[in-house]
Amino acid sequence: MTSTTVDGPAGTEEHPAPGAGGGPSHPPKDAQAALRELRRPVAGLTRAGVLLGGLGALTTLVPFIGIAELAKELLRADGVDGGRAAGIVVVIVLGLALGWTCTGVALWLTHVADSRLQALLRRRMVDRLGGVGLGWYSATTSGQVRKAAQNDLNDLHHLVAHHDVEAAAAVVLPLGGLTYLFWLDWRLGLLAMATLPLYALAYGWMMRGIGDKLQQMDTAFGRVSAAIVEFVHGIAVVKSFGTTGRAHHAYREATHSFGRRYEGWVRPMLRLEASTSMALSAPVIAVVSLAGGIWFVERGWVGPIDVLAQVLVALIIPTTLQTVNEGFTARGAARAAAERITSLLATPVLPVAERPVHPRGHLVEFDDVTFGYGSPDGEVGPDGSDGPDGGSGASRASGEPDGVAVRGVSLTCRPGTVTALVGPSGAGKSTLAKLLLRFHDVTDGAIRVGGADLRDIAPEELYRTVGFVLQDVQLLHGTVAENLRLGRPDATDEELLAAATAAQIHERITELPRGYDSVIGEEARFSGGEAQRLAIARALLADTPVLVLDEATAFADPESEARIQDALSAVATGRTVLVIAHRLSTIVGVDRIAVLEGGRLVETGTHRELIAGGGTYARMWDAYGGDTSGAEAPGAEAPGDEAPEDGTHANTAPGTDSGRPERSEA
Amino acid sequence: MIRDLARILGPAHRGALRTYLAWLVGYAVLQGVSMALLVPVLDALLRGDTGQALRWLAVMAVVVTATCVARYVQAMKGFGLSLVTLGTLHDRLGDHVARLPLGWFTTETTGRLSRSATGGVQSVTTVTAHLLAPVVSGVLTPATIAVALFVFDWRLGVTAVLCAPLILLTHRWSAAAVGRGEERADAAATVAASRVVEYARNQQTLRAFGRASGGYRPLEDAIAAQRTAGGRWLAETFPKILSGGLVVQLSFAALITVGTLLAVDGSIEPVRLVALLALTARFTGPLSEAAARAGALRMAGNDLRRLVEILDEPPLAEPEESRPLTAPGEIEFDRVGFGYRPGEPVLRDVSFRVPARTMTAVVGPSGAGKTTLTRLIARFFDVDSGSVRVGGVDVRQLTGEDLMSQLSLVFQDVYLFNDTLEANIRVGRPDASDAEVREAARLAGVDELVARLPRGWETRVGEGGMSLSGGERQRVSVARAILKRAPIVLLDEATAALDPENERYVQRALRTLMEHSTLLVIAHKLPTVVAADRILVLDGGGVAEVGTHEELLAAGGRYTAFWNERRRGDGWRLVPTAPEGGVGR
Repeated sequence: MTSTTVDGPAGTEEHPAPGAGGGPSHPPKDAQAALRELRRPVAGLTRAGVLLGGLGALTTLVPFIGIAELAKELLRADGVDGGRAAGIVVVIVLGLALGWTCTGVALWLTHVADSRLQALLRRRMVDRLGGVGLGWYSATTSGQVRKAAQNDLNDLHHLVAHHDVEAAAAVVLPLGGLTYLFWLDWRLGLLAMATLPLYALAYGWMMRGIGDKLQQMDTAFGRVSAAIVEFVHGIAVVKSFGTTGRAHHAYREATHSFGRRYEGWVRPMLRLEASTSMALSAPVIAVVSLAGGIWFVERGWVGPIDVLAQVLVALIIPTTLQTVNEGFTARGAARAAAERITSLLATPVLPVAERPVHPRGHLVEFDDVTFGYGSPDGEVGPDGSDGPDGGSGASRASGEPDGVAVRGVSLTCRPGTVTALVGPSGAGKSTLAKLLLRFHDVTDGAIRVGGADLRDIAPEELYRTVGFVLQDVQLLHGTVAENLRLGRPDATDEELLAAATAAQIHERITELPRGYDSVIGEEARFSGGEAQRLAIARALLADTPVLVLDEATAFADPESEARIQDALSAVATGRTVLVIAHRLSTIVGVDRIAVLEGGRLVETGTHRELIAGGGTYARMWDAYGGDTSGAEAPGAEAPGDEAPEDGTHANTAPGTDSGRPERSEA
Repeated sequence: MIRDLARILGPAHRGALRTYLAWLVGYAVLQGVSMALLVPVLDALLRGDTGQALRWLAVMAVVVTATCVARYVQAMKGFGLSLVTLGTLHDRLGDHVARLPLGWFTTETTGRLSRSATGGVQSVTTVTAHLLAPVVSGVLTPATIAVALFVFDWRLGVTAVLCAPLILLTHRWSAAAVGRGEERADAAATVAASRVVEYARNQQTLRAFGRASGGYRPLEDAIAAQRTAGGRWLAETFPKILSGGLVVQLSFAALITVGTLLAVDGSIEPVRLVALLALTARFTGPLSEAAARAGALRMAGNDLRRLVEILDEPPLAEPEESRPLTAPGEIEFDRVGFGYRPGEPVLRDVSFRVPARTMTAVVGPSGAGKTTLTRLIARFFDVDSGSVRVGGVDVRQLTGEDLMSQLSLVFQDVYLFNDTLEANIRVGRPDASDAEVREAARLAGVDELVARLPRGWETRVGEGGMSLSGGERQRVSVARAILKRAPIVLLDEATAALDPENERYVQRALRTLMEHSTLLVIAHKLPTVVAADRILVLDGGGVAEVGTHEELLAAGGRYTAFWNERRRGDGWRLVPTAPEGGVGR
């Protein structure tokens, strides 16, 4: 074992991935701190926005104070000075224009900050996604990624682009306005705040336990949404079982009860809000201000024009408070989103070797390998199934209740030989094969290629050495040629054609509207079998000396079975191949069969040796029926036993006419 | 939008909508009137006539009280209406979805539907709860103030009225630009986000081909494009928003300027003008607020329109009562013609009969219309010509429930409910006994799955059955079909054939189903084909050959070619048989 503990640049505080089965786990941080940290890159812009926003809010006061000054000028006993009046009007107009411009520019700055932050966070997400252990990806996490990349970044928008500017205005404008009024006369200042306590009290009362309440409502909404989504998606099933009425009833039940609960939560709050928010409404403030003002004038405390100024300023103070109040929900959503993004960005990455080792040759060694998914309760394990579909999720039972999928397996695959992994469902076949692709890191032991531990090989080099053809083909949104050239962008057109031809997909591609330049998903749609053949062409072109293969891909598409099979035989030639086998008949000819049971390697040998040995494999072979076509045909005799014996097919794979693949050197 | 809302609410609640709107309009106008009363109060106060000021203040207090009442009533009515909208929309969507033809449900439509039914409905409820009131009062209150200005001084009134269209036009202009730019920026953001998801989903492949670390170009491009689009949106719309707002501010400025000019000129009494200036200050505030909400309202309007579109999808016409079955368990196609799109027929003049309690295998190249046959039997779609009969009766003369009680479907895309395995099987026949459920599960191979899962029968399968593999979901679907014991079973073997284990279970299930039911199987595996009483070879949208396995082989036609191809596939070996010894360790 060369070295198993390699701390990569990012591996200092974080643990390697195998334990990270269910998703990101990070120490619960203060949401506020997390948010601050996320926003740090645009802190400068935000600060500028806040400054300008505050300035804008302060300038908003100018026109109203200006009207009061204008009134003084117009009502002067000694007649109106036209020039002075004009000067005040100019100040008012400038104040209006400047106030609006400042606020506008402030919001523009924060919007720019938002756009930058989105791009930045997206890029950081991408860096993280490219480095985490592949085992981290499962059905659940792909949903998380979607949510983070789409909704969560959108949810940040309000906070980054609006909140701070609005909050600054909400602080500066009332403070500035009240300062002015207190400066005019302290009683006018108090009068402007007269209605505030009523609302503040009610607001405080409403905010009591609002967090819990919002949480509850959120949960209830999530639940009813799930019920709706399930009804919509399941309706086809429900209809086809004639139980539409029943499901419909359940759906109505769910939506009605949500409606009732929602009403129960919101109505009392709304009643209070609707009645007390009037305290801040313009008509009420106007009446209160005028009433107080008339009284003050009666008392001789202030002049009538001061009352005018007070009314004008008192009327605009609450508007900013309301804007901030309305952003309450959006702010909550943004905080939650920030936390999720932070947790995604904190997902541990697979350590990368600091001083990579180059593999010498292509000998593959599993040295006492043990691996567990680390989540014994297995609620959602990462994919590592032996299930034929290589799917993911709860049924990824590891064969053992403690989550250990592979135990102490030692196996050597010599260059140029084909090794088949066989065993019942859950025996660990796929898991073992995927360990060679470093989808996960081993828990114990080591896997070496050409003498170098997988963990010590630079990822690019590893994947230039080890390729795969698995059941779930991943085609990217791009042209056919781009998809095929993925492993070797510099491949020539001739090489491309040769690979596609060998993979039996060239003809199909030429039928597309724009041939190799057709965009997958738009101009080109491929059936499962066609996608498999594309994947095989890709693997052929990448031309890795070591290949992990899932035999079930040969049967992915009944329509084109024979052609996929020919393509697979082509790709399996002349490499070190590890094949996950489901149909024993297809691998009787391989160099070595490794039989797994409950995560352990129980026997190895050729087909004949193992049959002669009379062990697990021999029993499996018996149970399989020793023939290729299932034998359990209902009500009829199985057709043509031992089909390959007639020699129609076994030797038809291109490049194998010698009947035996050529061995390459070690 | 109000029309759409009225349509969705239906006649029962249209009155409530009208009452709400009336209160809302009343509130907005009253608010304008109470603001207009600032003028006489201030006028009297500035003249030093406190008695007069107090009398006007009393009038104002009455109007303000009325405003408050109207405000409260419209808020509560708006909320009540939003609850009604919530309930009505959920109900109507539910009723409608239950009546749509099965063929309507594709991945795309169900995705759209579930987005509309959750987020869309929620967005529509905010219309009466939050959005409409500020927009309506933001327009009507200034309008009332403009009228009041006319009453007090026609010249200021004219200025306000002249400003109004200018404000409206610049708002339209900037809002349109914002909307367009936002769409473009949104599209770029969506592309970038879906690229991130694609990048995540395809990590295996990207890494295996060394593309995860060095940067994946399309993703980098998408992120850059998103940033550019966002930047361009800001650069393009910012001046428009700024100038739109400036026009509002400047109309306020215009009112002040015109007033001051008049006062300096002596053609308006200074006291009167000062009082009026207080009113003009209230002219533009609500307008800005209305403009701020207009975008959200428009977006909610779009959600509303999408909901209306879904509700406009024509449901399947079903008879009130089914015709009695004349030939239970029989399927018959009588000169059936059908195409998914006009002018592109998939089936042409197809006629055949599947007698009760027999098994027919359908074979043929892809695109021959095999799946379409089964869809027409289950009435996913209606035929263009001819007739499909189940149990001797045209499927269009059976109610949906009666037709489905005749059929069991085991198709490719299996949907499981986010519930336990047991509950998912029980969907086949909710009143089945536990023993029956277990037996169906055993026959379909679900018991093997149960034994492997840590929580056994109680294992929840995740949303849509995501935590099971495709083959495992297929087994659950077969178990449902067995449990249902319908007289006719339609089965598509395609995905079931993925691995030998599933294959064996499907074969076993077929044998069980054959005992009671008529079977129509889209067959891919040779044992299935051989087991059939009759084989139907489809090609080019028509029936090419019909007969037993022996008959068709003897005929040496298309079936023979199919048979040979499949035999070749089943005998495949990855590498030819190794000589004795092999290359062992």
